[in-house]
Amino acid sequence: MPVNSPPTAPIVDIRHVSKSFGALKALNNVSMSMSLGEKVVIIGPSGSGKSTLLRSINKLESVDSGTIIVDGQDINAPATDINRLRMELGMVFQSFNLFPHKTVLQNLTLAPIKLKGMGQAEADEMAMRLLDKVGIREKAHVFPAKLSGGQQQRVAIARALAMSPKIMLFDEPTSALDPEMIGEVLDVMVKLAKEGMTMAVVTHEMGFAREVADRVVFMDHGAIVEEGTPEHFFQNPEHERTKLFLSQIL
Amino acid sequence: MNEARTIDVGEGAAIPSRSDWGLFNAWTISITGAVGAILYLYFFQSTPYKRIAHYVADGIIITFQVTIMSILCACCIGLVVGLGRVSKNKAVNLAASTYVEVIRGIPLLVQLFYIYYALGRLLNVHDLTAAVIAMSVCYGAYMGEVFRAGITSIDKGQTEAARSLGFNTKQTMFLVILPQAWHTILPPVGNEFIALLKDTSLVSILAVSDLLRRGREISSESFLYFETYTLVALIYLVITLILSKGVSIMEARLSHYARQ
Repeated sequence: MPVNSPPTAPIVDIRHVSKSFGALKALNNVSMSMSLGEKVVIIGPSGSGKSTLLRSINKLESVDSGTIIVDGQDINAPATDINRLRMELGMVFQSFNLFPHKTVLQNLTLAPIKLKGMGQAEADEMAMRLLDKVGIREKAHVFPAKLSGGQQQRVAIARALAMSPKIMLFDEPTSALDPEMIGEVLDVMVKLAKEGMTMAVVTHEMGFAREVADRVVFMDHGAIVEEGTPEHFFQNPEHERTKLFLSQIL
Repeated sequence: MNEARTIDVGEGAAIPSRSDWGLFNAWTISITGAVGAILYLYFFQSTPYKRIAHYVADGIIITFQVTIMSILCACCIGLVVGLGRVSKNKAVNLAASTYVEVIRGIPLLVQLFYIYYALGRLLNVHDLTAAVIAMSVCYGAYMGEVFRAGITSIDKGQTEAARSLGFNTKQTMFLVILPQAWHTILPPVGNEFIALLKDTSLVSILAVSDLLRRGREISSESFLYFETYTLVALIYLVITLILSKGVSIMEARLSHYARQ
C-alpha cells in the first residue's frame, strides 16, 4: 500500500547563524539544512568556519545569534535538554579524544551504561558488535594508548555509534592521521554512509566527498559560498573562490 | 595526547624519580645515614638517648594522627575548592578563589593560633581536633590549587568528547576528568602530604603532644637540648624519607596506562 510520505521536516535546520571569536567573525549569517539520511560534506580553507558550524550543531560552540533546530528541537531554547539531544548526535573529533583511562571496550560502553541505563552484558555485546563493524574486535581489552591513530579513530567512531545516534558529525576525522591510515577510517565512514546514516562531515578528503556526499558545501570566511551535488561541484563550480580552492587542493 | 602529564608543585621532600633509583643517590645516603645514626645513638649512647626515645615515642603517633586526619580533610576541602576554582558559576568560583587567597596570605602559624583559639573559645573543641581543623583549612587551600592544576591539565578534547556523548558537567568531571587528573595530581598530593607532616611540628606550640612537643618537654626537664633535638630531627627525617619513597612507588604504579 504505497503512501505518499509528506515532505519530511529537515532533521538539522540552521538559520541565520552568526558567531564571533573576539574580532574574528567565524560564522556570518549561515543557513543550512539537512534531511534524514542525507550526507553533507563541508569543505573550505582552514579558518573558514566549517568546524565551528559543525560544532554548533551539538552546541559544543554556542552561537551568538540565529537558531539551530535539531530533530525538531531548538538547541538554544531553555526548555531543551541539551544533554539528551546530544545523545542523538554522535561526534568524531580530529584528535580522537578517546578516554585514556578506559579500555577500548569501556570507551564504548561507558555512555550507554551511564546514560541509557543499559546493562553491562548488553552493553558489552553491543560494543563488540560495533568493534566488529569497524574491524577492531581483537583490541577490545587494550588501552587506547596502545593503538595506532587509525585504530583510535575507528574506536572513536564506534564509541559515537554506541549511543545509536540519528546523526553523525565528523570534524576533520582524518586530518591528524598518517597517510597510510586515512583509508581504513574512510572505509568505515563509507560503510556507515551506505547503511543510510545521516552524516555531516568536515574534511579535506575530496575523494570521500565525491563518493559519498549527497551535497557538498563550500565555506569561506565564515559564510557558505556555494553548495551542490558533487558532480556540479567538482565539474562546474560557479564561484571564483570555489574554483581557486579546488585548484589548490586537487 | 597520551604522554604522561606532570605538574610541578614542589614543597615537600624531593620525590626520587625512577632514573636515580641506584644505590648511591641522595635518598639512599640520607636514609642509611639517618637510620644508622638513630641505631647508633640508641644502642651505643643509650644513657641519654634511650630515655629520650622512649619519651618522644608517643609523640610520633600523635604526629601521624594529626597528619593523616589533616590530609584526608584537606583532600576533601581541596577537591571542593579545586572544583570551585574551575567552576563556570561565578559566585562559586569567586568564593573558592577568595578562600585560597585569604588562606595563602596568612602564615600557617598565625592561622593555627587563630583557629585554635577561635574554635576553643567559641565551640570549646578538643585540642587535637582544633589542630586538625586548622591544618586542614590551611592545606585545603593548597590542595585546592593542586586539584585545580590537575583538572586543567586534562586535554579539553576529553571534556568535549564526554559532553558530545551526552554526559552533563558533573558526570564529565567524575567519570572522565577526575579519574585522569588523579594520576597527574598524585605526586603533588604526596608532596603536600610530606610538607604537611613536617608542618605538624607547628602544632607543638598549641597543647598537642606531638613529636616536637614531647621533645620540648623532655629537654626542658632534663636539659638535654642538643641530644633531644638531634633525635627528633633524625626521626622526622626518616619518616619523611620513607613517605617520599612511598609516593614515588605509588606514582610509578599508577601511571601504568600511559606507558602501555
